[in-house]
Amino acid sequence: MSEDRISLRDAPVDIPIRDDVPAIPLTGDETLDRYTRIELLREERAIAEKFHGGRMWPYVVAAWGGFAVWLSLFPLTMLDIVPLPIAFVVSCVLATGGYVTSHEAMHSNIARAGTQYRWVNEWVGKVSTIPIVFPFSMARIMHLEHHYHCNDPEKDPDYTDEAPNALMAWYKTWYNRQPGVDGSIHHYKRILAEMGTPEADKALKDTLVLQLLFMTVLFTMAWAGYALEAALVWWLPRHIGLSYIRFYLSWAPHHPREGKTGRYEQANIFKSRLGHVMSMCMETHLIHHLYPSIPNHRTKAAYLALKPILDKRGVDVSAI
Amino acid sequence: MENAVKGLFKIMPFLFGIGFVAPLIAQTMIYWGWRPPLGLTPISFGLLIGVPWGLYATIRGRWV
Repeated sequence: MSEDRISLRDAPVDIPIRDDVPAIPLTGDETLDRYTRIELLREERAIAEKFHGGRMWPYVVAAWGGFAVWLSLFPLTMLDIVPLPIAFVVSCVLATGGYVTSHEAMHSNIARAGTQYRWVNEWVGKVSTIPIVFPFSMARIMHLEHHYHCNDPEKDPDYTDEAPNALMAWYKTWYNRQPGVDGSIHHYKRILAEMGTPEADKALKDTLVLQLLFMTVLFTMAWAGYALEAALVWWLPRHIGLSYIRFYLSWAPHHPREGKTGRYEQANIFKSRLGHVMSMCMETHLIHHLYPSIPNHRTKAAYLALKPILDKRGVDVSAI
Repeated sequence: MENAVKGLFKIMPFLFGIGFVAPLIAQTMIYWGWRPPLGLTPISFGLLIGVPWGLYATIRGRWV
């Protein structure tokens, strides 16, 4: 049995990719023999290699600049320097977009562990998801778990986002955040508690601290006479951002999830009504699952280059 | 300490009703120039809504 491996970078374990079992499925095409599959994989990797890395400093500027702007919205709205409706729109964009920059840091695409600028990678991740009150330590562990166990109903932490249609998916983004529902961050907390590793414990503590900070800021601002500012700069943009992220980064590229655990079927190639950028480059999310080291902004170009190979693998490439 | 924090999070919706929902209702009313009924002050009206709503969310596990 020959075996190859794919790394998610900094992951505690590697995911084995075996070429003699359906873990590399040939859905829709049973004419390829073992030799052809190995050759295709080699060719696929050679093409994908060209899209790894690239200029990552714009993610750093976006993360740190965005966080600075977001922080500044608090005094600027309290002093009536920036109108609340404008601050609200800006905050929604920053809260939602922050996940994209954080996501690159989760995969260590900005700087790998042990390199000179590793701290940049970590601080990009840490500040990016503060507006959505989602600590980087928790986000990284849960996202890597999602990669390891993608679409497994028991083990994929994001499986709770599954819904039969888009309307229900939007509803579920809200429903899963309800205090008594085992979805979203409540689901993550339970998984981390079950994991019991030092990293998971730290992530749980980080979550408690950030949530307490969030509540303290909201309560203090509200009782000091700035409830509208707190609501429109942090509370509501957080909810809108989380729903948007859950829909476009979790439901849309993975629906339907049931039984889609194979390497080439974990995510879809789809056409978004809002376009590639507004859907946060999720139209070609399959490329991210195949090669997490390819930065988000290069997944479409990588997809177009890989399209003939993916077609041979049985991937539905008709959308783009 | 850990148990205390966990306990705090169990009643967080109730605290959220008092700490955030009530003043948010009051200040929204003032912003739009709405007068609370029965001669109540805006914050009393906010608490009248926020406290039971937060209690409901704590007990039922849903805001709606």
